[in-house]
Amino acid sequence: MATKTNSLWSITDGQRARYGRAVLAMAGASLFMFSAPLIGGFAIDVVDTHRVDAGTPLLAMAAEALGGSDALTWYLWLSGAATLLVTAVGGVFLYFRGRLAALTSETIVKGIRDELYRRLHHLHARYYDDADTGDLVQRCSSDVETVRVFLSSDVVEIGRAIILVLIATPILFWLDSRLAWVSLVLMPFLTVFAYVFFAKVKEVFQITDEAEGAMTAVLQENLTGIRVVRAFARQDFEIEKFAAKNQAFRDHNHRLIRLMGIYWATSDLFALGQVGLVLFFGGFWLMDSSLSVGTLFTFMMLEGMVIWPVRQLGRVLTDTGKAVVSLGRINDILTEPEESLEPTPAHGRAEGEIVIEHLDFEYEPGRPVIRDLNLTIRAGECLAIVGAPGSGKSTLIRLLLRLYGYSKGSIRLDGHELAQVNRQWLRSQIGVVMQDPFLYSGSIEANLKVGRPDANRDHIVQACDDAAISDAIANFPGGYGAMVGERGVTLSGGQRQRLALGRAFVKDPPVLVLDDSLSAVDTGTEQRILKALDARRGRHTTIIIAHRLSSVIHADRIMVLDEGRCVQLGDHATLAAQDGPYRRLCQLQGALDEQIRDDIRLTGAS
Amino acid sequence: MYDDDNYDDGFDDEALASRVRLSLWRKLFAYTNPYRKDLLRLATFAVLTASVEVAYPLITRAVVDSVAEHGFDANLWLYAWYYLACTVILALAVGGFIWTAGKIRTYVSHDIRRDGFENLQRLSFAFYDHRPVGWLMARMTSDCERLSNILAWGFLDLVWGFTMMAGIAIAMLIMNAKLALIVLAIIPVLAWVSAKFQRRILQSARQVRKTNSSITAAYNEAIMGVLTSKAFVREQENLSEFKQLTGGMYGASVMNMTQAAVYVPIVLTLASLAGGLTLAVGGFDLLGGVISAGTLVAFLAYARHFFDPVEQLGHWFAEMQMAQASAERIMSLIEAVPKVKDSADVTATMAAQRDMPSRSWVAADGGPAKISSIEVKNVDFEYDPAHPVLHGINLSVSAGETIAIIGPTGGGKSTLVNVICRFYEPTRGQILIDGIDYRQRSLHWLQSNLGMVLQNAHVFSGTIMQNLRYGRLEASDADVRQAAQLAGADEFIRAMPDGYLTEVGEGGGRLSAGQKQLISFARAILADPQILIMDEATSSVDTETEQRIQRGLTNVLAGRIAFIIAHRLSTIRMATRILVVRDGRIAELGTHDELMAARSHYFELYRQQSLQETTRTLDDPAPQPA
Repeated sequence: MATKTNSLWSITDGQRARYGRAVLAMAGASLFMFSAPLIGGFAIDVVDTHRVDAGTPLLAMAAEALGGSDALTWYLWLSGAATLLVTAVGGVFLYFRGRLAALTSETIVKGIRDELYRRLHHLHARYYDDADTGDLVQRCSSDVETVRVFLSSDVVEIGRAIILVLIATPILFWLDSRLAWVSLVLMPFLTVFAYVFFAKVKEVFQITDEAEGAMTAVLQENLTGIRVVRAFARQDFEIEKFAAKNQAFRDHNHRLIRLMGIYWATSDLFALGQVGLVLFFGGFWLMDSSLSVGTLFTFMMLEGMVIWPVRQLGRVLTDTGKAVVSLGRINDILTEPEESLEPTPAHGRAEGEIVIEHLDFEYEPGRPVIRDLNLTIRAGECLAIVGAPGSGKSTLIRLLLRLYGYSKGSIRLDGHELAQVNRQWLRSQIGVVMQDPFLYSGSIEANLKVGRPDANRDHIVQACDDAAISDAIANFPGGYGAMVGERGVTLSGGQRQRLALGRAFVKDPPVLVLDDSLSAVDTGTEQRILKALDARRGRHTTIIIAHRLSSVIHADRIMVLDEGRCVQLGDHATLAAQDGPYRRLCQLQGALDEQIRDDIRLTGAS
Repeated sequence: MYDDDNYDDGFDDEALASRVRLSLWRKLFAYTNPYRKDLLRLATFAVLTASVEVAYPLITRAVVDSVAEHGFDANLWLYAWYYLACTVILALAVGGFIWTAGKIRTYVSHDIRRDGFENLQRLSFAFYDHRPVGWLMARMTSDCERLSNILAWGFLDLVWGFTMMAGIAIAMLIMNAKLALIVLAIIPVLAWVSAKFQRRILQSARQVRKTNSSITAAYNEAIMGVLTSKAFVREQENLSEFKQLTGGMYGASVMNMTQAAVYVPIVLTLASLAGGLTLAVGGFDLLGGVISAGTLVAFLAYARHFFDPVEQLGHWFAEMQMAQASAERIMSLIEAVPKVKDSADVTATMAAQRDMPSRSWVAADGGPAKISSIEVKNVDFEYDPAHPVLHGINLSVSAGETIAIIGPTGGGKSTLVNVICRFYEPTRGQILIDGIDYRQRSLHWLQSNLGMVLQNAHVFSGTIMQNLRYGRLEASDADVRQAAQLAGADEFIRAMPDGYLTEVGEGGGRLSAGQKQLISFARAILADPQILIMDEATSSVDTETEQRIQRGLTNVLAGRIAFIIAHRLSTIRMATRILVVRDGRIAELGTHDELMAARSHYFELYRQQSLQETTRTLDDPAPQPA
């Protein structure tokens, strides 16, 4: 599966034959396109000398055969037709070159895009802990685009320049070796000049990019913070701030364009100087008739055809550097290790018994998050976990999902050691609802079916009823078809949580995990959901992480985590009777209840 | 993630590209007015370039013909000097037009952006409500660049192209009318083909862009939702959906490149038709002695070069059409009129006041500077008539009072505050500041007396000090520190690596939500506002800090008018009066004791909130290590 993408050469793997055909088509196109000036040149010589045999043998024979005494006229007509014909045939080759180059580069780029996307899904969760989303997206978009431009246009440009020179040179030497030398003499200087120039102005490009970035950043900040700007009436301040960046970008960009002006003017001097050399050396050799007018014409035309791509070559070569850098950045992602693939246990649906023994875990060495945890959750049991932030609750869930690997101790689901079963199988057994759930852009229904694509409507509606979200969905324009996200309905925090809960219910997994997932739901709705959960009791092994007492009070057992250790475990009645953090929680709650009662009584009495 | 091509903003790209809209371009072209001289210079350089390019084949012709006529006596040096002169002129003209067009391009884009930005600072919130930030960014960046490109380079190519075509046509017609007409006959065909194809190519390029945006969005979603995708084992499904996108991209991209691959050969073949005909017919004339060999050579060169400008003009014509949607969009932004602005009277008074000596008790608009009461009278407000947001609000507040506003989400709490601050104006009814309708006062005066702390506290990139000073630009370091202390922010700021000079990163990325709230609170205190607004301002700070803020708040609130939208009971209980807003109406208004006694909505909310608050207090973290 994994493709090795470590050099510009290796990414063309599998497409080289097609690239080869593109190069052949390019060569064919060049040959035919070069023929037109040749035909023209010979025709001029034929007319100039009034002799058909001064022309190309093929056309001369045809003209004599067809026209006899009028061979000269025939030769001209044939030349005209041949010019059109060779250009048309060359055009066909040109088309094939373009088409093949398109197919090749797009196939390669599609491969890179798909592989990047696949890889992003299979990297270890840990990779994302300190990854920068913006940077990753940029690697996947801009850097891929740089490589795409390189493959589809730069490679073709380089190929074109080289092929043109390779094919034109023998023709020129065959026509007249003296003039051929003259017509090539400035080309290396032109290329080197372009290369050196673009290498030098790279810095200016970079400064301009940065200036643009700085301007965009100020703009973005102003627009996102427009309420703050208005609240402090800082419009004038902002206008000045933006004006400075706007001017800086203008001036840097202007400087860059002026440099480009110097480049093009100089390169025009070289190019036209080259053409001028051909013209005047040719003119000189015309005098002693050692050169025909037709040959001079051909040289002039060919020179015009070759000099443009050669002029581009220097620029394109500097772009190669950019493509290599981009490829390196893409490669950073593609060489990251993926999650391992273990075998899937034979049977399909798990029972849901979870056994944790002597579990230890740390994100960074020396800072343990879970310490020697032992816990057995029976299939169908409802376990609540409470504990301060940082006590390891969410980490435990991540370990259960094998988003992180544990090194010491054991977690078993139905007796299968998690480290030894297929992650996908494991995850398909668990439905998890997070505090800040992620919803895919798409319809409500598509989001609900994420865990079970073949779920029928009744099943979905039931799940949404249980999650107390069906009324809200009914109120969206489009109901279940309503789109989520920027182009659709905006959901409140509580609605997102309930939708995610509905999604987990649709999945109907053996193990259901609610990771602080009712925090944004009001207390009345929370009670409805808990009632629905109670009705589903026994269907899933349920783990509820919660902050509110009301969410955990009905669980079969409650575990209190503190600094990664289980400090209390038992049902509400037991724990409430013990001296410990759980009782303090109850007391605090009780004290508040009392205060509220007092408050109500007092104000009621007044 | 915003992208232009997949968002319906009411501008239809296709419809707007259907024909060239001259009035629109005239409006845009007005942006070059300050650069009249440059434009003239640019046109001169363009004409010069085209003329020299027309001259080259003539030099070739002269060389060939004079050698044919005079043999060894031909004065090639003369022509060589001509050639050299032409080349130097051309190089200078090319450099010149790039410099000038570069200036126009960058300056015009700067000016459009400046005007856009300045108008954005004036436009009311109502405008922002239906324009996502991404949409605005796209106008101010890529659209500006695209249009200024057309105005500079398009103008250049227009002048150059027409001069070149006219020059070649004249040169050919003078040399030989018959041959000239043969070449010219092909032009309309080529122009038509060119315009058609270029349009197609630009359209498919748009399709490529559109798909590309979707792909970028898909990557973004893949990364943001990676844990969910893993938990739901969505790897396969996501990838196969993504492959449809990249498949679409492959198709669109190949289509775009294939169109170009078809277009170029067709142009070349059409050009060679002209070349072939010139060769044959010109050959007869050469045979018949009607024209010289040099003339034929020049003709063949002209036949070839004639098509460059046609192609270029075809490109710009298509680009202009396709860019019209961009032009309409950006003009709509620049020309949008703010819904909330100073009345003509106020502007006139302010102009008159400018010459008066400034007195501290008089505001810039001539009214009193001090705010001692705000009265909301029968205020209705709606964003659009179908959805009323506020009805019949009546409220009177005097300096020194703190009003807590509570009520269910979407009930109109924030809208009420926004109307009081004149970010929106009432649809009906009025708001009186010390008895004067605030529409008769200056907007800037009112808003520079505001201090706002919002839930999603926005901080700007720069140092903490710079952010705090946003409240009062001329504040001394000591003032800033004092405000930070009052806001309970001083401690965490001093714990930062560079203290007050710590860079907060873009959008305050290096700060936690709670820290951003504290900074925005301190910033508001520093502004020393007469009206203080706190909208869920301390929702993300921990209990301990919250308590510290409470202590400072008493000092801060003294003498000001404050509106506090809050959930926390401790904050609500600090208010002099509590306002319950539900369904856009004032449901209850009174002191805590009054409302509790009434056993109404507030009472219910209070009970619910208290329950949530305990549990939160319980496991509130000891301050997390950063």
